[in-house]
Amino acid sequence: MKEARTTAVSRLHLVGIGIGAALLAVLAGLLLTPVRPITGVLEPDAVVRYGLPVVRVLFDLAAVATVGLNLLPILVGLSRPKGAERVLTGARRAAAFSALALAVAALATLVLQTAEVLPHAAGISFSRVTEYVATVSAGKALVFVAAVALVSFGLSLWSVRAGEAVPAELRAAVALFALLPLPVTGHATNWRWQDYAMISMELHVLGAAVWTGGLGAVVIALAANRTLLAHTLPRFSRLATACLCVVAATGLFNAAVELTSVTGRGLVDVLFGTGYGLLVILKLACFAGLAALGANIRWRLLPGIVRHQRTALIGWAALEIAVMCAAFGFAVVLTRTPVA
Amino acid sequence: MRKFAKALSVLTLAGLGLFALAAPASAHNSLTGSNPADKAVLDAGPAEIVLTFDQPVQEGEGLNSIAVTGPDGEQWQGGSASVDSNVVSAPVRELGPSGTYTIGYRIVSADGHPVSGELTFNVNTAGSGTPAAEGDPGWIDMDPSAGGGNGDDGGMPIWVWLVGAVVLLGAGLFVALRIGGGKQPE
Repeated sequence: MKEARTTAVSRLHLVGIGIGAALLAVLAGLLLTPVRPITGVLEPDAVVRYGLPVVRVLFDLAAVATVGLNLLPILVGLSRPKGAERVLTGARRAAAFSALALAVAALATLVLQTAEVLPHAAGISFSRVTEYVATVSAGKALVFVAAVALVSFGLSLWSVRAGEAVPAELRAAVALFALLPLPVTGHATNWRWQDYAMISMELHVLGAAVWTGGLGAVVIALAANRTLLAHTLPRFSRLATACLCVVAATGLFNAAVELTSVTGRGLVDVLFGTGYGLLVILKLACFAGLAALGANIRWRLLPGIVRHQRTALIGWAALEIAVMCAAFGFAVVLTRTPVA
Repeated sequence: MRKFAKALSVLTLAGLGLFALAAPASAHNSLTGSNPADKAVLDAGPAEIVLTFDQPVQEGEGLNSIAVTGPDGEQWQGGSASVDSNVVSAPVRELGPSGTYTIGYRIVSADGHPVSGELTFNVNTAGSGTPAAEGDPGWIDMDPSAGGGNGDDGGMPIWVWLVGAVVLLGAGLFVALRIGGGKQPE
């Protein structure tokens, strides 16, 4: 019993480590890309300047958690070892909460984005928000995400009561669907290959969410149960390898599209000479670290885990989750930064 | 797993299709040209500022602003900015002292992102105009929190919204923890 309690504490620590790393990365990213005040023009106040990226990264983490927790039943698979059901009920409760957090974060992002385009307004009224939704596509996308997240919330609550009578595939599909609207309304590119850049962006977001969410859910929900872990981690490892390849290919493509869109400056100059370029380098560094950490778990720890041995998985996974969440933090600042 | 991957790819394509249709324009919007041009040297003040962007600009009350600031720090724009697709323009008052004037702009790109920047132009000969004062068309209240902000309709401050969000989350956590599991083996 004592062991179970300590793992529960260290598991909550993992969530805290992830959120902390993401917030630190947002802060670092904001410091790297300072806004120059524009003469004679009002800029939104500090609540919006710092609040928006912070809420946005919490939004991302809620989306990632929702995806991971809803994928968990599929990763565990149908031939479940004994004791899986109790773990999965806990995961369903957590999924319900993270889906609700996603919906609330989407609406908070909506209010903050409304405030961002209306720096003259002393306050934000409900009619201003609806006006923003009516005119700006990012507003519509956020409302759509909030709606999908509420559907996911309902499905998860239902599955807490009804178990796997609620198809896991449906829950996973709804969670993944919530990721799709936002990337296409954010900064893509004005290049002639825009459609490809958009598809690439969607795949990047899906890959990153499945990878991070999957790892988080598997480690946090299953680490205390060696049988389930030995059963599930090898399956997740294969999925993670696929995600890693997708994230790398699409990330490089999108970065190349953005960086080469700057006319009159060389690629190296843009990469090292602008805040945007530095953020790209930071994300590349995160990726290199993740590949190494992933390989470490795959080849050094996994054989022991499969043999039901005690391993240092939690520690390594905590590090990997921290790097992943930091990458999300940098990504949030990156999407808000104009290149050059 | 295979079936799932298939379902996932179909879903992804469907989602992409949906939103590719809904939001065709998504990009970094950037300034491609202006009249007067950046760092232009003029004999007389311009009648209006015209900024051209490479993407359409979002129209809407209070979304876009162009400010002309004189060498004395006074405001010289003569009205609010108007949008025509990817061109934003604002009238300019008859200018006063000679010297460097700064054009500051902040527009909302069609994808919802604010884009801002600065240009300058130089005027050789002094005009006889007077700067904009409070109440003049286009005058920008640089301290709207001090009351009497442009078009304030009594909305709530941001932090009220954020506190509301946190309360809602707390309620959700309570529900998620308290709801009884129907079938609980063991």
